[in-house]
Amino acid sequence: MRPLKLAVAEPSLVLRKGVVTVLERLSSQAVEIVEVEEPSLLVVQLRRHTPDLLIVNPATPGLPSPERLREEAHCPEMKCAALQMTMLDDTVLRAYDGVISIYDSAEQIGAKIAALTASDNVRDMRREPLSPREREIVVCIVKGMTNKQIADCLCISTHTVITHRRNIAAKLQIHSAAGLTIYAIVNRLVELSEIEPAYGGDR
Amino acid sequence: MYRIGKYGADDRMCDLVCAHSSVLLVMSRFGIALGFGERTIGETCREAHVDADTFLAVVNLPIAGERAADPSCVSVAALTDYLHRSHGYFLDFRLPAIRAKLADAVAGGGDLSVAILRFFDEYVSEVHKHMANEEARLFPYVRALLEGRRPTEYSIDEFSRQHDRIEAKLTELKNILIKYYPAGRTNELNGVLFDIFLCEEDLASHNEVENRIYVPAIRRLERGGAR
Repeated sequence: MRPLKLAVAEPSLVLRKGVVTVLERLSSQAVEIVEVEEPSLLVVQLRRHTPDLLIVNPATPGLPSPERLREEAHCPEMKCAALQMTMLDDTVLRAYDGVISIYDSAEQIGAKIAALTASDNVRDMRREPLSPREREIVVCIVKGMTNKQIADCLCISTHTVITHRRNIAAKLQIHSAAGLTIYAIVNRLVELSEIEPAYGGDR
Repeated sequence: MYRIGKYGADDRMCDLVCAHSSVLLVMSRFGIALGFGERTIGETCREAHVDADTFLAVVNLPIAGERAADPSCVSVAALTDYLHRSHGYFLDFRLPAIRAKLADAVAGGGDLSVAILRFFDEYVSEVHKHMANEEARLFPYVRALLEGRRPTEYSIDEFSRQHDRIEAKLTELKNILIKYYPAGRTNELNGVLFDIFLCEEDLASHNEVENRIYVPAIRRLERGGAR
């Protein structure tokens, strides 16, 4: 499972560590937090880590707009939240995807972060069960069939197979054929004897 | 004694270990034994013939963060030796120990035990490949740099580009066991799971040392810096 990647950009050690501590405590899922102390290194750091969400003090001198940050850091998907510490003009805050105040409670911050990162539909899919079609495809994968073979067998396009595989990985958080084999056996989709000859051929 | 921030050579070794149990693993990979009494980190390292600055850089990384590790003060030779020993530790001790416990915990599970152990074995062979690549390409390259040569067929940038998270697949195994393993004898399995959690963290921090201390130190070496 890919952890949620957050970046916290704030030069003050006390404030930055405070935000990071709150974030670490409230995480219900694995989070990876990148701390950016030096505003001049923000773009470089974002480019290197490509976080899902950036939390930044909007009053930082010389800070580019969220729009330009996304562009310069090559992170078109990144959400930007303003870390508000003082009264700020609405026009400044409107450029951000969300506003986190230093007076927010942990629950408020948690809810805001969940809302900001929820549009990432990969994470939303995790609770959905596999569709019958997806179960069929899991069986094919653990039997060691290639995408082309699966497509021919089920009379669908390879492109569709790839989409199904992506959705399966997102729902189960299992990315390898060996992992899917365990899943398939637990859920009685296959027996080892059926896949024995092909086992290991896929990876 | 409670302290804030990074440790120095004059702090007592026992304070460091008592406050941060993960240091135990780092110590054994540096070849530092227990029984250091009241001696400081500097003294203990000297007695064990370990470069104290390098040891401190490694233990301070998870405690005080990236900025605590100054690549200019680590000994590349000592760190290479440490990473090499770490590889041996994971491949010859840690992962086989987990496999033995895992085999025990899932024994009698028929197809499922076979599939789980195969997953684990596949994972271990990936770790082997990952570490063997470092042993075969990265370390000889670094040794050449230390001897003052500058081989052109490899660079730390190339290593850095290809360096993936080796603990990712272990995370996947952990998730599969937690979510899908049918209930049964849970003491054994939970025990193994706990070991996997620790090993996952340990592998991740091993990777962190490589990415945050080793790579910058080698970059410095490539540019012609000392040590």
